[in-house]
Amino acid sequence: MKYFIEVDYAQNYKYNQKICGDIFLLSKSENKNRIVFTLSDGLGSGVKANVLANLTATMGQKFVLNNLDVKKSANIIMKTLPVCSERKISYSTFSICDISSEGLVKIIEYDNPEYMFFKNDKLCKVSKKTIPLERKPFGKTEKLYYSEIKMDFGDRLIVFSDGVSQSGMGNASTPLGWRRDHIIKFITDEIKNNSNISASNLCNKITSHANSNDIMEPKDDITSAVVYVRKPRKLMIATGPPIDKAKDKLLKCKVKNFKGKKIISGGTTANILSREYNKKIKINLSNNNMDIPPSSTMEGVDLITEGMLTLSKVANFLEKKIAYKNLPENAAKSFIKHLINSDHVYFLVGTKINEAHQDPNIPFDIGIRRTIIKRIATALENIYLKETYLEYI
Amino acid sequence: MRNKIQIKICVGTTCYVMGASDILTIQDELTPSISDRVEVLGIPCFDLCKNSANGKAPFVSVNDIIIDSASLDKVKEYILELTQKL
Repeated sequence: MKYFIEVDYAQNYKYNQKICGDIFLLSKSENKNRIVFTLSDGLGSGVKANVLANLTATMGQKFVLNNLDVKKSANIIMKTLPVCSERKISYSTFSICDISSEGLVKIIEYDNPEYMFFKNDKLCKVSKKTIPLERKPFGKTEKLYYSEIKMDFGDRLIVFSDGVSQSGMGNASTPLGWRRDHIIKFITDEIKNNSNISASNLCNKITSHANSNDIMEPKDDITSAVVYVRKPRKLMIATGPPIDKAKDKLLKCKVKNFKGKKIISGGTTANILSREYNKKIKINLSNNNMDIPPSSTMEGVDLITEGMLTLSKVANFLEKKIAYKNLPENAAKSFIKHLINSDHVYFLVGTKINEAHQDPNIPFDIGIRRTIIKRIATALENIYLKETYLEYI
Repeated sequence: MRNKIQIKICVGTTCYVMGASDILTIQDELTPSISDRVEVLGIPCFDLCKNSANGKAPFVSVNDIIIDSASLDKVKEYILELTQKL
């Protein structure tokens, strides 16, 4: 699997609404080979819009994740879900996107602004197949658009609800709304400015800009989502001394040869590598958050932390989905920053047991390294959609 | 110019939970004349807690002399004695 496919979305609710009429659902298939997402915009706003969008998006996700073709899924949705008798349109729009790990993407769209496909900073034309759907009782023919694209390194797919394209409508500078051509220019400029801009940053910028078009009082729910294909950012976490001293050199080799960022978690582990690398460790005592021990630096690695206490904090923060900006300033925050900014995380876990951790005089249960690492890996996979690899040494 | 007295405090897991976190404030607890003669460093692990023959955590070294079952008071006392001798 050579690509890393990052998908993220950002939303702003319509002003004064406590519930969003846009729904974005995202998940990986069971075998982790596909990512599927659905964006639905419910008619109107508030609870009714939310329920209808949820119904539509959930159906879209479930069908496609269970290997029903996007076109068939769309057909069922269109025929099953209610239609507004006055406006003669479905109660919810949808864009369903099925992305394989090889970068093959199938998209079906109904009534959302059409998606944008960028290769680096260039917008690409996409040919789409129009699928007509007759709505007999209303004597109307709906149009669904189906397309397939192949994404490669540096490519981005951007979808958004009409809250984005219509943002600013009626204001002096944007009387007809933000409009497609200006959105294209905005995105092009952002990518030109930073060719590595993450999906997360870009969708937040788009949503933010739409929000400011509406002078911070969105006239409709605003949702944008970005898919970004890149080389995976790799991170290695080496924690715990190897089962026997003979393997210390092996630990050193694995860490040294790893191509990516490196965190050493554990005093004993850090000492081993300091000796093997012949480099000094410098502990940073200036920022002393008393909860967990301070972090350190050493030439050749990106971060050194203490082991079990820090790892426990990291596991807790990840599982509770605490926003990065709300974390206390300590070694766990630095640790999590590296995790968030990585795509593939490799855990190299030493299996030597430290009997001192089991001392009954210690006031609480320190825990077992393997268990805490498993918790961190599970949270990274399920909540943050990272890929993790575990190796025991 | 006298060499500074080097205090190394282990901030490994066992030492930290057994009291090293309190000892880290030692520089603030000394009078200015003594505090100026002292340098506080953290170290990731002394590798002493695993063998009970070495005594109990937390471990602190003052000019490379290991103090076991260290506490803020114990280390302060040791430093005062040392400054009187030096």
